Amino acid sequence: MDYCKPRTVDEALSSFGDDSVYIAGGTDLGVLLAEMLISPVGMIDLCAIDDMKGISRSDEGLTIGACTLISDIAAADDIPDCLSLGAAAIGSPQIRNMATIGGNICNASPCGDTLTPLMVLDAEFELKGAGGRRALAAGDFFRGPKKTALEPGEILTAVRIPAASLEGSITGFRMTGKRNGQVISQVNMAVWAVIIDGKIENIRISAGSVAPVPLRLIRCEKMLQGKTAAEIMKDAFMKNLAAAAEVEITPISDVRAGEDYRRSVSGALLVDIVTDLVSEGVKDED
Amino acid sequence: MKISFSCNGETRDIEAGAEIRALDILREDLGLTGTKEGCGKGECGACTILLDGKPVCSCLLPAPKLEGCEVVTVEGLKGPDGGLHPIQQAFLDTGAVQCGFCTPGMILSTKALLDTNPAPTVKEIETGLSGNICRCTGYGKIIEAVQLSAQRMRNE
Repeated sequence: MDYCKPRTVDEALSSFGDDSVYIAGGTDLGVLLAEMLISPVGMIDLCAIDDMKGISRSDEGLTIGACTLISDIAAADDIPDCLSLGAAAIGSPQIRNMATIGGNICNASPCGDTLTPLMVLDAEFELKGAGGRRALAAGDFFRGPKKTALEPGEILTAVRIPAASLEGSITGFRMTGKRNGQVISQVNMAVWAVIIDGKIENIRISAGSVAPVPLRLIRCEKMLQGKTAAEIMKDAFMKNLAAAAEVEITPISDVRAGEDYRRSVSGALLVDIVTDLVSEGVKDED
Repeated sequence: MKISFSCNGETRDIEAGAEIRALDILREDLGLTGTKEGCGKGECGACTILLDGKPVCSCLLPAPKLEGCEVVTVEGLKGPDGGLHPIQQAFLDTGAVQCGFCTPGMILSTKALLDTNPAPTVKEIETGLSGNICRCTGYGKIIEAVQLSAQRMRNE
């Protein structure tokens, strides 16, 4: 198989042919190759493109190059908690040292642990193809299990998180798996919230591995919007919130978990994260 | 294509396409069979090598990605006197080896962990070794081996 390691995005785009495949960390692609599910003729390695690496901050927000390693995102302390926690939940140290955030996004597995954080952070994906540049909201990018809005040959170059998602907000992430390390999420969930004077002014919730794409739980968001900590921290409210999460998702049963289990775990994860964030939000103001 | 990289301190030049894995280069071309193939899909950690000091799965790594990198396999570990590395000795002394198939990967993950964190807690050891699966020991003695290695390396 031919291999090339372009230094620029344009060089990568011009190297792309019908039977070629882009590779970043290779942790998902390597499995497809091992199982002989794909047999490309050429491999284009994106990891030497400097413009696609690193985390940078500007007035407009945060830009994360698509080839930034998952281990670097897990270790970053100047990015929202939900994203570093999501990155840390992926695979093992070995996998995190190889895998990239762009790979996690483009692989578009419903259980990808950076996807729900990116959904709640209102992330935008920058794409570059033969036809030029375009940007797509995370919510418009995922089209189904392993299906994305990428055109053939198009490259995800960077992830942008707007400043509005960074300032004055708190975030949380949780997942369940059969063990703590090296596991694929049965359910993962991320929450972003703005809490002022003990009241939820704004909230976004996303659940993963419970539908063909990472979902926003709009009904649950509406239940929480405008509520005070005192109203939220009641057993009856939390029970209703968990029940709303359970009906808002459309999980399947598979080798990792049953549908019923995924429903009850989704409710429980949401209650846990909301409890944490509301407690943290109230404490921050003290 | 020609690939040039450093393996256990020696420069190696090999010829391989992208369909060849780093694991195959190490085992078949260089005869370094300490690196094992378990699952072949990045789940078990038996194929762990250190790539520029960081543990990675050599079964998922296309050979051309080795270009210009520094690889350390279990054969490249040595103690101060040229004998066993303190981590290898600690695995022997604590009986942290049964069938031994996972041991090279465990030892390299331990090396990467202790290089960045010389006094890890049990939780940090568990996280550091979470990508290495052992089907024999139940992990208790492996964790003891890491603790003993850390203690001996700090006292060196």
